[in-house]
Amino acid sequence: MRNHKNAMVALAFLTIASVLLAACGTQVVTQIVEVTKEVEVVQTQLVEATTVVEVEAASFTKPHPLLGDIRVRQGIAYCTNRPQLIASVYPFVDAEGQQKQLMDTNIPRASWAAYDGPEIQKYPFDATKGQALFDEAGWTLAEGATYRTNADGDEMNLKFTTTTAAFRQTWAAVFEKQMAACGLRIIRLHAPASWWFGSTTGLRHRDFELGAYAWVGETDPKGQTLYACNQINVPENGWAGQNYMGWCNQVASDAINAANNTLVREERIAHYKTFQIEFAKDMVSLPVFQRAEGNAASSNLVNFKPSATEYYTWNSYEWELADGGDTLVLALSQEPASMYSLIESAAVQRTVGWMIFDSSMSQYDWDFQPAAVAELSSVENGMIQINEVEVKEGDPVVDYSGTPTDSEGNLLTLTSGLKVKTSSGEDVEFSGGTVKMNQLVATYEFQPTLTWSDGEPVKKADFELAYKNDCDPASGAVDYSTCQSIQSVDFTSDNEYTVTYKPGYMNSLSFIPPIATYPSHQVLSDGRKLADVPTTEWSGLKEIAETPLGFGPYILTNWEKGVKLELTANPFYWRGENKVKNITILIVQDTQQAVAQLLSGDVDVIGSETLGAGAEVQTVIDAQAAGDPIQVLIEPSATWEHIDMNLFVP
Amino acid sequence: MFNYLIRRLFQMAIVLFLSTMASYALLNLAPGGPLTFLTSVQRRMNQEDIARVRAYFELDLFLPVRFSRWLTGFPRGPITVGGQTYFADFVVGCRQPREVEIRYSDGRRELKTVGCREGQDVTLADLVDRPRSSKGIIFGDLGNSWQITRDRPVSAVVVSRLPRTLQLMMISLVLSIIIGIPIGVISAVRQYSAFDYTVTSMAFFGSSMPTFFFALLMILIFSITFKRMGWVYLPPGNAESVKDYVIPFIGAVDAGSLKDNILHLIMPVSVLTLFNVAGWSRYVRTSMLEVLRQDYVRTARAKGLIERVVIAKHALRNALIPFITLVVFSIPAAFGGAIITETVFNWPGMGRLYFDALGRTDYPVAMALLLITAVLTVVATLVCDVLYTVVDPRIRLS
Repeated sequence: MRNHKNAMVALAFLTIASVLLAACGTQVVTQIVEVTKEVEVVQTQLVEATTVVEVEAASFTKPHPLLGDIRVRQGIAYCTNRPQLIASVYPFVDAEGQQKQLMDTNIPRASWAAYDGPEIQKYPFDATKGQALFDEAGWTLAEGATYRTNADGDEMNLKFTTTTAAFRQTWAAVFEKQMAACGLRIIRLHAPASWWFGSTTGLRHRDFELGAYAWVGETDPKGQTLYACNQINVPENGWAGQNYMGWCNQVASDAINAANNTLVREERIAHYKTFQIEFAKDMVSLPVFQRAEGNAASSNLVNFKPSATEYYTWNSYEWELADGGDTLVLALSQEPASMYSLIESAAVQRTVGWMIFDSSMSQYDWDFQPAAVAELSSVENGMIQINEVEVKEGDPVVDYSGTPTDSEGNLLTLTSGLKVKTSSGEDVEFSGGTVKMNQLVATYEFQPTLTWSDGEPVKKADFELAYKNDCDPASGAVDYSTCQSIQSVDFTSDNEYTVTYKPGYMNSLSFIPPIATYPSHQVLSDGRKLADVPTTEWSGLKEIAETPLGFGPYILTNWEKGVKLELTANPFYWRGENKVKNITILIVQDTQQAVAQLLSGDVDVIGSETLGAGAEVQTVIDAQAAGDPIQVLIEPSATWEHIDMNLFVP
Repeated sequence: MFNYLIRRLFQMAIVLFLSTMASYALLNLAPGGPLTFLTSVQRRMNQEDIARVRAYFELDLFLPVRFSRWLTGFPRGPITVGGQTYFADFVVGCRQPREVEIRYSDGRRELKTVGCREGQDVTLADLVDRPRSSKGIIFGDLGNSWQITRDRPVSAVVVSRLPRTLQLMMISLVLSIIIGIPIGVISAVRQYSAFDYTVTSMAFFGSSMPTFFFALLMILIFSITFKRMGWVYLPPGNAESVKDYVIPFIGAVDAGSLKDNILHLIMPVSVLTLFNVAGWSRYVRTSMLEVLRQDYVRTARAKGLIERVVIAKHALRNALIPFITLVVFSIPAAFGGAIITETVFNWPGMGRLYFDALGRTDYPVAMALLLITAVLTVVATLVCDVLYTVVDPRIRLS
């Protein structure tokens, strides 16, 4: 390593010498700069420059000159008038509605995990306080100046990157003015979403100072991949991870890991509380607001119950038409790519999927309820057991954070140096001998009357097929972490199986059945049985992608690409007969067109994914007020806007 | 003529190759792509996961190799001759690229890919078991869709959209010709008359009005307002209805019937036709005015021919020669669809498909549509040149 350093210094001298020599012979100020990363010369390139640059040894280790200072970050938060931002994009939301949309931490207020105690540092709009913090941080406002400067005369400015979406352009412009009022110049960069969320650009490569985008909140807050120290994306780990701020607060990191590694809700609430206190205090990501979302439907539709945390078709089996009609028309802004849930995770797929496949459980109103499962597995009802086991070197385990693989994707085994969680909850580095760890064993029991839409009862072989297929690395799925965390599965009956996870695995969502079901008896059009088809072919099968069998309330009978999906009531549905016999899903990409069809009576339901929260919501509100027979439901959505602050620069 | 056609066909092949290469490169080098969705939800990803997904979409292959596989279906693996395998270790891609950051003295920083991480090369031997390879578009295989109909043939989705687009565009094209040419002729013959001024004003209105605005205005007036007032109204969108409905004065309309289809066609066809007529009528008018001043028209009149014959047989025929170019080039456009009109009226055609494909970064579908348009355009160019020889005896192809 030392030799390499010497070589690098020698090269740098040679470079300077060559530049000087070149400068003697010509007027062109050109030099050769050795561009280095770590301590290795990686590229030689001609650069218009006058001095050789000494490059930092590691990436993203230098604190950002402004955002590295907590006072600046908190000052930004105090200078942000969030109700004003909400009003700029949702003029139809009143003051009470605005309060519902505000967030103080990373967890929406309606969530069971949200903490609202006095330890949470809040940032109500207070420009005076914000400016005082800027002053304290050394960024002062000279008399008559618009923007602050530091002792060196550098102007206080930050690049603010977000997408080009009109919605974000609107609130970003207001935010820019709010910051200018506090003496901070915001340089707005509206990049195409393809760049901002691209796999080798924008967020993924932490190419921002302040960055605004949205996360979709879930019934279970999770958060490990967003805030844990080991989830910071840097060049060294191939940019894997979603902690784009580069924030590593060990207390918060441990808390978020712990919250996701216990099954006892009280414990989880306590860990999330710890996390939220740290999150709010450090102010590394400013939660701006929960987006508003609108759902609209014909007044004729009864039992329409959209929820922020569940797809609005979750209770389609309860839907009824007041006029006794038997056909309902839904508009979807996007067409599902495939009904093969393993490879297609778009919201529209899940919206349709609920009607075809049902779901093991619903997540209505920020909590879990059993659906296709007979009951939610828990420690209390004995369906989840946590056993203490003694693990020795070479045994399969997951690490202390619940990760089943190393950064290269290799399955972990207990080896020297691996940090694991002991049965007493302590994180230890394995150095030999044995270690006592917890092992989770969970039993999942499904409704005994589940029947495929062709009349065949769901059976053991269907679960076995799903396990075999979905955990096959060639299946096309993106995330195999659950499969990789399973040690063994015991399919005990036609509606029950027991999963033994690897020692150390303690996912708080372990009550969700990890294994789906596929109709193993299904015979394809080419005569083969589904169970005999290689996994690589599944995504291209019409019987899987377009006309799948399910045990949900409806059967997908016809799919005219780009036009519509036609569903009819499933006569074998385990909950009984549906009142609405036919549902047609029209693909209507343009929201204005969808609203026009709702108002003209061609469409009965426009969900939030199609109606959104733009000007069209006002249109339907006005139409309702004008007497059109429609119902409009506007609530804070699970999606929340926030501004990430990149704490380090390369 | 034969030699000319051979030469042109050869040129067409080169143009097509270059245009597809440019389109393919532009689409694939643009930011975004099918991996964008990975960052949209909370997900624990490691390098292996990212590499696996990249391999699934063949993004781990070098661009020229990907293009070659898309175009010809090759390379599909090492070359095997007489049981002997060659070039098995030839590197054609990289599973995990190696990136470095370059820092300049002026503060700029730049991220560059400088080769591949050790042991992460993709070789020809690795291509053997790839499930996603197609036979190549030159063999008629447009490949599989990435997003719109994931992993299923692009050709199926294209074929499903073609009839609706042709229906919309052809009706609009025919109506535009039937209306546009007479208007242009009458405007030219009666230059500076009240009719000419009126038509000119309308043409400017039609040309300058954005189609999306005009389309939305029509929906607001003829669908929503008219329905609220209890008048005859038109369906706001789609190619046909799902449910039967009743329109005042027209009566019951069965979903999917011819009447239903016609009612749905009226607004989108009107928008497209108005736009075409506005431009084409001006084109024909200008062309006619030029021809009407020609000596042979004066001669025809001097010979005592009646005005209708002079206009129709001597003037119009010559005036329409440049118009052929416009009409012939409308054919590729007819296959390509009208992106804005189809989107606003939710018409399930090729234009909407293209819009969707770009929005969802489904490059195989977008490339297929670009390829079809490119092929039709070069064919239209040839047809146009050949047609000139038919309508104008002075032109010889050699």
